[in-house]
Amino acid sequence: MNKTNREIIGIFACGAGILLITAVVYADYFQPEWKGYQQEFREIVAKRFGEARAEQVPSGLQQVWARELNRVDRCTTCHQAEEWKGFESAPEPFRTHPADVLKKHPIEVYGCTSCHGGQGFGTDMESAHATDLKDWEQPLLGKDVSKTYSVSDWRGPMQMNCNTCHRYDRETAGADYINEAKALVQQKGCRACHTINGRGGVIGPDLTYEGDKSTEQHDYSRLSGVESEFAWHVAHLKEPKAMSPGSIMPNFGFSTRQAQALSLLVMSWKKNPVSAQFVVGPKIGDFSSPEEQVKEQQMLAGEGAFFVKHTCFICHDVSTLGIESATKIGPDLAKAVTDVPSRFGRPLDDFLMSPTGTMAVVLSTQIHLTEDERREAIAKLKVANQKFMEQEAKAKQGKK
Amino acid sequence: MKLKEHWETLTWTWNPKSLRESSDSVVRNLLLHWFPAKVSRESLSFRYSFWLGTITAVLFFILCVTGFVLMFLYVPSVERAYPSLKDIEFVASFGRFTRALHRICAHLMVVAVFLHMMRAFLTAAYKNGLGAQQNRPVNWIIGVILLLLTLLLSFTGYLLPWDQLAYWAITVGTNIARAVPWIGEQIRFALLGGNEIDQNTLLRFYVLHCFVLPGVVLLLFSWHMWRVRKDGGLACVDKLARDQKQKTSATIRAKTYSLLGITSGHNVHVQTSYIDEDEHLVESSPNLTRRLLLVTLATLFLTSLLAYVVRAPLEAAANPLVTPNPAKAPWYFLWLQELVADTTIHMGSYTISGAFVGGVLVPGLLVAVLAAWPYLDRTSANATGVWFAKERHQQNMMFLAIVFVVILLTFVGTFMRGPSWHLYWPWQTWPETPTRF
Repeated sequence: MNKTNREIIGIFACGAGILLITAVVYADYFQPEWKGYQQEFREIVAKRFGEARAEQVPSGLQQVWARELNRVDRCTTCHQAEEWKGFESAPEPFRTHPADVLKKHPIEVYGCTSCHGGQGFGTDMESAHATDLKDWEQPLLGKDVSKTYSVSDWRGPMQMNCNTCHRYDRETAGADYINEAKALVQQKGCRACHTINGRGGVIGPDLTYEGDKSTEQHDYSRLSGVESEFAWHVAHLKEPKAMSPGSIMPNFGFSTRQAQALSLLVMSWKKNPVSAQFVVGPKIGDFSSPEEQVKEQQMLAGEGAFFVKHTCFICHDVSTLGIESATKIGPDLAKAVTDVPSRFGRPLDDFLMSPTGTMAVVLSTQIHLTEDERREAIAKLKVANQKFMEQEAKAKQGKK
Repeated sequence: MKLKEHWETLTWTWNPKSLRESSDSVVRNLLLHWFPAKVSRESLSFRYSFWLGTITAVLFFILCVTGFVLMFLYVPSVERAYPSLKDIEFVASFGRFTRALHRICAHLMVVAVFLHMMRAFLTAAYKNGLGAQQNRPVNWIIGVILLLLTLLLSFTGYLLPWDQLAYWAITVGTNIARAVPWIGEQIRFALLGGNEIDQNTLLRFYVLHCFVLPGVVLLLFSWHMWRVRKDGGLACVDKLARDQKQKTSATIRAKTYSLLGITSGHNVHVQTSYIDEDEHLVESSPNLTRRLLLVTLATLFLTSLLAYVVRAPLEAAANPLVTPNPAKAPWYFLWLQELVADTTIHMGSYTISGAFVGGVLVPGLLVAVLAAWPYLDRTSANATGVWFAKERHQQNMMFLAIVFVVILLTFVGTFMRGPSWHLYWPWQTWPETPTRF
């Protein structure tokens, strides 16, 4: 065989090789792992609920873009039954998500990984669960992790993420590990030495943002077994001197569960990466002075509470019932009984039942009152007017 | 009318005004002269050149194509660069393969360019031979600049994924720039667009990587190829001419061409080949084109295969507060980092940093000597185009020794430096870096 022929054979061989690789890459593209799961789910649905329902199973890559939490979660590509009824006891990946949690934490807003951990970007199980990935911040906090550390309840580790938003709760429904740990923090007086949430002693290190520490900031040389931050915290809480010999932190005799719960709590203490609206705790609002707060309480609880509840007070004072409007856009309602006929030529009862002018617009768009409520309003306004008249009379007498 | 003329000077026209213009347009067209009509068998042989320059060019071409595709998917912003990489990996059609191919070709281009330089040195391809108007030293210098540009291209691309690997490799790399006397800080500031690696750095590196450097490489590459033609082809042709001259002093049978037409006799200024056509030359088409096709396809095949097998890594998102241990520069700079580490001297509590010696002095000298070598090499033209010419024995050995040291240091830095830059033998395992769970 001469050189030229050899070259031509080489050219065809390389060409064939390139075609082959192209074919393999295409095959991978058309046959990803998740297609198998979607096929399986469709078959299960078809078997249980009929072909018509199976048609409704979405196909193709699914993703939840939790914009506020800066997450893209593609978990629902395989975990398709999350919001379906009837898969409550089915094996994963086709189990229905417990509905009570989803009611308060809708998937569209929270995504999946903000609670469960794992890599939301991933579109195959290995990268999505990230259990063996060194380069992803948090593995799926589920059965694998629980097994590695013998956490008795597999829902335990995940509760660390509950505390991202529920940090300032005393107790959080469903987060028993975190609740237990928070109780221990109170009971054992951790704040005697440590600053937590900006408050406490200065003998030990400030733990407010302990969860932000890099994994390499702990000394693992005395730790046996898995070298991880979690393992270090558990070992350290059980016997502080074993991990850092110079430490004066006492051994509190924590059980394994207690040490695990406390480790999860400590690791959850990070600089808050979520926006304020997600954080449970002190309500955000404008500043109000103590006098304003007392006044607000009176208005909310006093005789005129009705007018606060139905937001009449935004425009109107009801002076004799203690209701003071900040804006005073409308007239004082204490005078309404006499005022309305002079303005509209109709008695108050009639006017409130079928108002005209501005009140017609307000009562049809912004404030919706039932007939009973309108009657109640009229009755209250009559009482207010009574008092107003008495005051007027007294004032006249005083003048005389 | 005048406006039209101006327009035509600015635009290329298929409609030449005169025969001279039409011939000029052909003569001046670089692309039409990329290859000669006839080429010597020796220049085509794999044994002489290993086709390393062509392989480099093919790799550059693949990089341009894959890079162009990736530009549609990548967002050069600190917040979104890393997520866009994740999307390329997981959801963009063929994104993972495209990125892997781009990465593998980038690494291989560094290797190929380096080997090409070695070949040129060991065959003394930077030396002029017998031909007129040869200026191979200039082409050698262009080559050295292209080598540096290739490193810079790879280095700027290294930052773009914005993961820990990228961030800290660039940190190490740009910290070496600090050691340049007097203007070190300024160089680093100019590179980073500030005092820290942040959005400005990313944008700077992105523009350099995608527009500036490829553009300059394309220009210099064209010049490189133009000079190869001007210098009468590969240096091995000069060897053939020399051998022929020794064999026979009679006039050789060679056609000579000039713009004036075919002239009789031969004159060094107008002849296109000074070697015996019948003995050495073959038609470029199909002899050269066929081999070019083979090399192109083979390169594409091997890189695709590698790209399919070797996934491009993507570490955790860049975190300026967490330094990975060890933090390493890109592998082709690891011999420098290793040199810096080895020349750093601790005396009690005093430390004399090796950054100047290892990061500036040694590489600076090496590059300077490399670029100037054609003018320092005093051996005769007989060595041109000859592998391991006897009279260049000493310098070849010296060159190989330096290459060996560079490769050795690179190897040590890459494979034998574990956490805290401690030395680990290949059979020793590095201590595991801890994870969160």
